Amino acid sequence: MSRSPIWRLVPGQRLDHRCHDGECVLFNDLTGDTHLLEQAVLDLLDALRTAPRAAAELAGDDGAPESDPDVLGELDEVLADLAALSLVEVAPC
Amino acid sequence: MLTVAGLGRRELAARLRGPGLRLQTGPFVTCVQSPLAPLAESLAAMYADYPVLEEGSLADFHVRLSGSNGLRRLLRPQVHFHYDGMAPFQPLPLNQAFPMFEWAMNWCVSSQANSWLVIHAAVIEKGGVAAILPAPPGSGKSTLCAALVNRGWRLLSDELTLVRLDDGRVDPLPRPVSLKNASIGIMRGYAPDAAFTRPVADTVKGTVAHMRASSESVARAWQAAAPAWIVFPKWEAGAPAELTSVPQARAHMRLAENAFNYSLLGKAGFHAVARLVDAVDTFDFRYSVLDEAIAVFEQLLLERA
Repeated sequence: MSRSPIWRLVPGQRLDHRCHDGECVLFNDLTGDTHLLEQAVLDLLDALRTAPRAAAELAGDDGAPESDPDVLGELDEVLADLAALSLVEVAPC
Repeated sequence: MLTVAGLGRRELAARLRGPGLRLQTGPFVTCVQSPLAPLAESLAAMYADYPVLEEGSLADFHVRLSGSNGLRRLLRPQVHFHYDGMAPFQPLPLNQAFPMFEWAMNWCVSSQANSWLVIHAAVIEKGGVAAILPAPPGSGKSTLCAALVNRGWRLLSDELTLVRLDDGRVDPLPRPVSLKNASIGIMRGYAPDAAFTRPVADTVKGTVAHMRASSESVARAWQAAAPAWIVFPKWEAGAPAELTSVPQARAHMRLAENAFNYSLLGKAGFHAVARLVDAVDTFDFRYSVLDEAIAVFEQLLLERA
């Protein structure tokens, strides 16, 4: 059985951001782009800055059951989107 | 202080044909050279109150507008724009010399002035505070701006908002207000005492004319203003004048889209927009009647006081 990937913030990202009423703008240090994100996504990035984590651990951080397949599926999608933006990556083993 | 009007027509033409007219507009000095008499006439009419620096003074931009050579001088003559010896644009019909000058001046600032965050937006001031009006072409931005400056607001710019990177204040760059198509007639009726250039038809933007900036706005071009509102205007037939709040994070994204050098400035651009959005109220604004629109801006000012 393969292990769940451990996600981390891409080195060099400083998470410079501003949040207003549940929405955030984030400066991407690697691409120079600015992203519009929900507060929950910014919180997820902040959690990965603190320590690399698997999706199940991130779900647990958020108070959701770690094994809920719906939650995990949604998290996987968000992490894949953030990886496409060069904000997160799978940590090397 | 020497001004364009103070030079007199003969000296103005001589400087344009010779060493160049050092024209001060807001924080910039442009050295303008041109042998074209119609351009000299338009500059005399539209820039009469602007400061002129002595020959040899340093200039931020060096521009030259020249006519065609050879047969082209006789057959569909054109105007050519040169910047520091380069020709960044295709030539235009000669009767578009003044619109081309204005577009070229905008291009100089929007492509070179990276000591500011440069937003494609009109900006006006009253009581020391400024409203920034970012909008794409065709939204009624310049018409609204022209109406406001004819009803007591000070013109900082109708096209380029210069936000300082160090303290977030807006530096004025008052220049003639560019009007297009139906707006020209509307504004002539709305501000019969204002000075306009003769409309030029068949430009890439349709028919265009320029309205002279007031003497007061030119005289106060050194007085920066604190931004208080960002208003995204949209003219819509029959729409009542109405403000709708824009969530700040979304306003940040829309401002970034309207800034010429946001990406180029990188993190400094991000922080400049973030600070601006923190400091102002942000709105969408639909309007159809200019007097109603102006009443809304006056109400904003009252509520702030």
